[in-house]
Parts: sequence; C-alpha cells; structure tokens
Amino acid sequence: MSIDLHFIYTSFFQILKALPLTLVITIVPLIAGFGIGLATALIRIYRVRWIHRIAEFYVSFLRGTPMLMHLFLIYYGIPMIIDKLAERYGWAFQSSSIPILVFVLIAFSLTAGAYMSEIIRSGILAVDIGQMEAAHAVGMSTFQALRRIIIPQAIGAVLPNLCSMFVGFLHGSTLAFTVSQMDILGKADVVASVSLKFLEAFIAAAFIYWGLTIIAERITALLERRVAVYSKGGVS
Amino acid sequence: MITLTNIHKTFGKQEVLKGIDLTVEQGDVVAILGPSGSGKTTLLRCVNFLERADEGEVQISGLTVDCKHARKHDIVQLRRKTAMVFQHYNLFKHKTVLDNVTEGLIIAQKMSKADARTRALRVLEQVGLSAKINEYPSMLSGGQQQRVGIARALALNPEVILFDEPTSALDPELVGEVLSVIRSIAQEGITMIVVTHEMGFAREVANRVVFMDGGSVVEEGTPEEVFVRPKQERTRQFLSRYSSDWSYVI
Repeated sequence: MSIDLHFIYTSFFQILKALPLTLVITIVPLIAGFGIGLATALIRIYRVRWIHRIAEFYVSFLRGTPMLMHLFLIYYGIPMIIDKLAERYGWAFQSSSIPILVFVLIAFSLTAGAYMSEIIRSGILAVDIGQMEAAHAVGMSTFQALRRIIIPQAIGAVLPNLCSMFVGFLHGSTLAFTVSQMDILGKADVVASVSLKFLEAFIAAAFIYWGLTIIAERITALLERRVAVYSKGGVS
Repeated sequence: MITLTNIHKTFGKQEVLKGIDLTVEQGDVVAILGPSGSGKTTLLRCVNFLERADEGEVQISGLTVDCKHARKHDIVQLRRKTAMVFQHYNLFKHKTVLDNVTEGLIIAQKMSKADARTRALRVLEQVGLSAKINEYPSMLSGGQQQRVGIARALALNPEVILFDEPTSALDPELVGEVLSVIRSIAQEGITMIVVTHEMGFAREVANRVVFMDGGSVVEEGTPEEVFVRPKQERTRQFLSRYSSDWSYVI
C-alpha cells in the first residue's frame, strides 16, 4: 500500500468545506464561555451569598470530568428533561426538533466557561490591589472600576492562556463527530469512506487543523504585542 | 470643613486608631507625622473609606457619613469629594497619561470627553508633563508617575487631596520635583492632608502639623509649635532623630 499524494490534495479542498462548522463549534462556545467564565470568576471572587457555592461546584465538576462526557450528558440529558416537561404540561414541542448542533454548543460552552473562569479569576487576582483603590479614589463605583480598570488589565494578563483555550477547543471540537456532526473530522471520515483512502483524508484534515492552529498562534503573538506596550519594560 | 470624629479602627487584635478627632479648614495644608505603625496612613485611608473605620464619623463639606452604617452610595458620594495621591502612584497601567487623568472625570463625574481633555491638559501642564500625555505609566520615571498621580487628583477638583507618603517610594534625586509640585498646588489654596516623612517639607509647606503615635494624636499645632517648641516628650524624641545629625555610629 502506498500513499496517494494527489488524493491528499484533492480531499483537502473537499474537507475544507466543513471549515465553517468547525469554526462555529469552536468559536461560539468560547464566546459564550467567556461570558460564563467572567460571571463565575466574579461570583467566586466576591463570594456572592450562596451563588458562589453553585459556581464552585460548577467549576469543580466540569473541570473534573472529560469534555466528551459533558457532550453526552447534555445530548442525552436535555432532550429527556424537555420531553418530560412537554408531557407534563401538554406542550406540542418535541426535543427531536432541536438541531443536534445546539446541544454541542451548549455542552462546549459550559466546558469553556468552567476553564475560562479559572483563567479569568487568576487574571483578576493578579491585578494589583492599588488599581482598585485608585479607581475608588477617583470616585468610581466598584462596578465601574471592574469594567474600566480591573477586567481590561486582567484580560491583558491572561491573553496567552485564553488564546491557548482556542487551540484546545479547536481540537476539542472534533468530539462533535461522536454525535454525527459534519465538522472537518466528520467530513474527512466521509471522504475516506467513499474512496477508502483513510490515511490520506486524515492527513489532509490534520493539515487544516495545523494551519488553523498556526493562524491562532500568530494572532496571539500580535495581540500580546499590543498588551506589551504598557505591561513591559519601563522604570519605577 | 472636614471633620473626623472619634475614628476607631482595629486590624485583628491590633487597635490601630484609638478614637481620632481631626478638623481641617478650607485651604489648610495639614501634615501628619509619626513613626511607622502610628496609624497615620490608616487614618488618611479612613477619610475616603479605602479603609472602613469601625466606629466614628467622617464629615466633608456638609456630607456626614457614619463609618459603621455607611452604605455604598454614601461612600461613593464621599469619595467624589476627595482625591488621593498614593505612595506607589497606582496609575492605571493600561491607560496613557492623558487617559489616567480623564478617566475619573468621564466615568465618575460624567464630564464630556472634550471638557475632560481640556481640564486634563491644563493640570498636566501644571505638573510639567505636557510632553508625556500619550505615554504609558511604565515608560515614565517614578517622579513623573507621581506627578501624573497628582494631576489625576487635581483634575477631579476635590474638596481635599489626600497624600499618602507621596515621596516615600522615590529615588532621593526625584523627591524634589514631586515636592515642588505639591508646594505649588498648596500655594493655590487647595486643601490637603499629607502623610509624610519629609520633615523639612512639612515644616515649610504645612500650616498645621499633627504628630501621631500608637494610634492617637500626641500633639498638633502650627509647624512652629510642633517643630520648635514641642510640648510632649514623645514628639521631642521623634523629632530629635531628624535634627541631630549623627546620633549613632556605623
């Protein structure tokens, strides 16, 4: 058996058609997860009455279990809950009318939120306490200070970690294949099944993931340079 | 104009302020002196509630806030009557010099961007930093950073500016430029409370000096009274370390 180099080339473009779905499965959870993570981090830092216990449980449980399991729990769990509720209250709504993609996005958003909350929390705690005091001293409320002073600095400090989350979730998005999503990996599998050239198709898919990762790293480096304008060097 | 009444503060088991009363009139420059751990910085931070006193009352131009029962809204209102210059400058690291000064004006005081900019440029000129408005704090020397800190406080147009050891973190060579800026704004009649270790500065610029030790005010009066004719033994002992040149041998 020899490798059909030409097939790697042709399948590459066939598989590339699945790129939008892979990007959706990667980016939507990261954006939603950022919001969840920020809220969770603030709830934990300020120990908001009893909600912070829920937040702690959320972070501990989701970081303590595999991402694929979150997908399965949501994929099998939510339809069951919806159907039970529908049955009880007599809704006409059926869980089978919800696209599977929605479950994937919910599951990965929850995963991303848990990981991001820890990253953002460490960023916020790393900001010098004097920054908050100065913001208070110029008359800002705590909310204004967080929004204008603390969170921007915290995000700047953890930017590399957030960008490596992108790479992690790009690769993690392949798990959606297990619930029959036609992402890059899924598409590669289909292309391979038709031609029976599995190795070639997966090599082509690998190049796409690699390329995306390199682009992400470049963008990270660019963003970091912007942050470095104020955070590095100087005299005291 | 500013009245502190019976301020008590305890950190754990350590009683840091043991019922301080202090009145500051408009235009006063009050220097608070004292050894490390005497509670002078804590007292200053109690004025704008960066430290919340356990007991007592803070009154600034008609607004009275009870320390024990103060609500968030009261505290924000009180802070908007004050400004503070910090020992470690605490400039907003991710903002340029100009934005450091306009931030409080735009966000807290809801001033228009154009007005804020005009005022910021004026105060930055006053502290001699017109050439640095687009730099980030990390690019400035300590003395320049502290002058931005002073400009930021000055721009707020507060009832009082609180200075927390404004020159303690500076190289000896840079102390002079900061002190001369503080001196020049003192001459404009801005009310100031200055916690400092710079005896010469306190004597020259302040019109009232408060000497604290062990969480209480030991002595207060004009610079003349405190520096030249101190009544308390503890004050004399403290000042002697600064006046007698070599009381020890290395």
